[in-house]
Amino acid sequence: MVKLHSYLLDLTGLVVFVIVVYVVMFSQFAGEQVLNHIPNSFQQLNTIFLSILIEAIPFVLIGVFIAGFIQIFISEDHIRKWIPKTRWLGIFMGCVVGALFPACECGIVPIIRRLVAKGVPIYVAIGFMLTGPLINPIVVLSTYMAFGNDAKMALLRMGVGFLAALMIAFIISVLYKTNQFKHAINHPGSYSAHHHNQTFLQRLEGMINHSIDEFFDMGKFLIIGAFIAAFVQTYVPAQSLLLLGNGVIGSTIVMMGLAYFLSLCSEADAFIGASFMNLFTPTSILAFLVYGPMIDLKNTIMLLSVFRAKFVFVLLAIITAVVFIFVSLIGM
Amino acid sequence: MVRVRFQHLLKAALLAAFALFFMKLHLTGEISNYINPKYEIMSIIASWVFFLLFLIQLFRIWGRDDIHIDCSPACSHSHNGGTIKFIHYAIILFPLVTGFALPPTTLGASIAVNKGSILPHAGLMETHDEVISNENYMNEEEYNRKLASLEQAGLINMSSDMYSSYHGEMISNPEAFAGRKIKLSAFVYKEQGLEKQQFILARFLITHCIADASVLGLLTEFKQMPELKEDSWVELEGTIEVTTIHGQVLPVIKASDWRIIDEPIDPYVYPVLVKIV
Repeated sequence: MVKLHSYLLDLTGLVVFVIVVYVVMFSQFAGEQVLNHIPNSFQQLNTIFLSILIEAIPFVLIGVFIAGFIQIFISEDHIRKWIPKTRWLGIFMGCVVGALFPACECGIVPIIRRLVAKGVPIYVAIGFMLTGPLINPIVVLSTYMAFGNDAKMALLRMGVGFLAALMIAFIISVLYKTNQFKHAINHPGSYSAHHHNQTFLQRLEGMINHSIDEFFDMGKFLIIGAFIAAFVQTYVPAQSLLLLGNGVIGSTIVMMGLAYFLSLCSEADAFIGASFMNLFTPTSILAFLVYGPMIDLKNTIMLLSVFRAKFVFVLLAIITAVVFIFVSLIGM
Repeated sequence: MVRVRFQHLLKAALLAAFALFFMKLHLTGEISNYINPKYEIMSIIASWVFFLLFLIQLFRIWGRDDIHIDCSPACSHSHNGGTIKFIHYAIILFPLVTGFALPPTTLGASIAVNKGSILPHAGLMETHDEVISNENYMNEEEYNRKLASLEQAGLINMSSDMYSSYHGEMISNPEAFAGRKIKLSAFVYKEQGLEKQQFILARFLITHCIADASVLGLLTEFKQMPELKEDSWVELEGTIEVTTIHGQVLPVIKASDWRIIDEPIDPYVYPVLVKIV
């Protein structure tokens, strides 16, 4: 029986590989045939689209592995023990843990989904989501360098970002008490008990299987988001955004819009922000730097796959309003 | 009952395809058309991780045909019906198909115009003393020597490694360079508001990936209208002068000698990072 099973495995492995190689060969052949019929702008769009994916996928893999780890190795009881009882401490803890945790926004949604499923209050998870990609050593360093080795912008970015995250998490804690998942969780609670009897290896296998499913779950939303972001970059001139005005308020809105639609990685967006220094006010650049890592197009689409649409849009509105107000206050 | 679970078979095939895709990017060197070479290691690791996941996924193809078999009861995956599932996998397949089928292109004039302009790219990269790994690193001594040569050299040579630094200096302080000779290779494009004999010579600066490219452009003026198409690459020598556009002081290169060249193997430039030894 065991022998038969391993034989089956070899065979399927081979079959799958042949299928993949066939598809690869076919698409390369097909590509050569249609290449001349595809407009150059679509090829540029495709290049930008793939470059976002190639940059993001390693971070998504890290994210789904962490999510898989949380799913299998951390029980609801652990979470109950760790999360502070009072709301204030919970919000503060969410933001601080996020700040210490060197996440990238591409991988953060699967992690918070898993945390909330395990019973972490929604406002703690949101605090974590907001500061995770924004406050970490690589982001500080790249911001510092991008602005001509001037620490002011980097410090403002971290400081304003942290305060805004606290405020947003607080508002969420007032508005929402439940987990806000789109689909109710099936039978929570009974799960950790049945996993306690498994060996470490079985649990490790469970974790990896989980990570694979999570990758496919999240991957498609990442792909949709990356495609839209690439589309905007290819077909929408940045200067058309200037129509919205170039006063302090207008330019802040423009820069926040840019941060949202470009969906850049928080580790690279400082250089883009810096390239707008002559076009826009420093206040609006700061808004760009704080807002982008907190929420952007591809994250919104990933969030929509997990949480209720109404919750995601309210969250989006709150983040936008709070960042705008905080940055404007600093500007004055 | 033991039988093939089609969904798991599909997932295994897609994981293998992702592994192959990342490997192909490295074997063909196409990766540098997508991301800054300093991040290559991340995608090499990703390729091996995908391969590992593929092997583990193989174990799930044969088994009981039970949807929730290795899902926890607390799982929140979507278990939708046929058509929706098909769309989901089609989305995952899409980048693999375009990735294998279409070769990467180099960003060109149309993107440069979208990114907006010869508008100064100042404040960027003026002094450097940070330690980060990067393909484009040099030690401080070398960097300072190269930056100093910008002050003295009879001819400013805009080499790829120093392009962004020299460009930053020129844009932030054009007057200091007035009258100096310059040599550079770049692609040309037109922008609204330029005279007939004016072009922009530009390179893309890549920090992470092509999506974060920014344009390092220099206004260039020819004596007569040259026969230049957008997106063609030129090697050009000229003299830097200063002009004012919309109240902003900008350097302008008066072209004295130029010729059309092939697109270089590495068309992009990267930020300089100084290595302190």
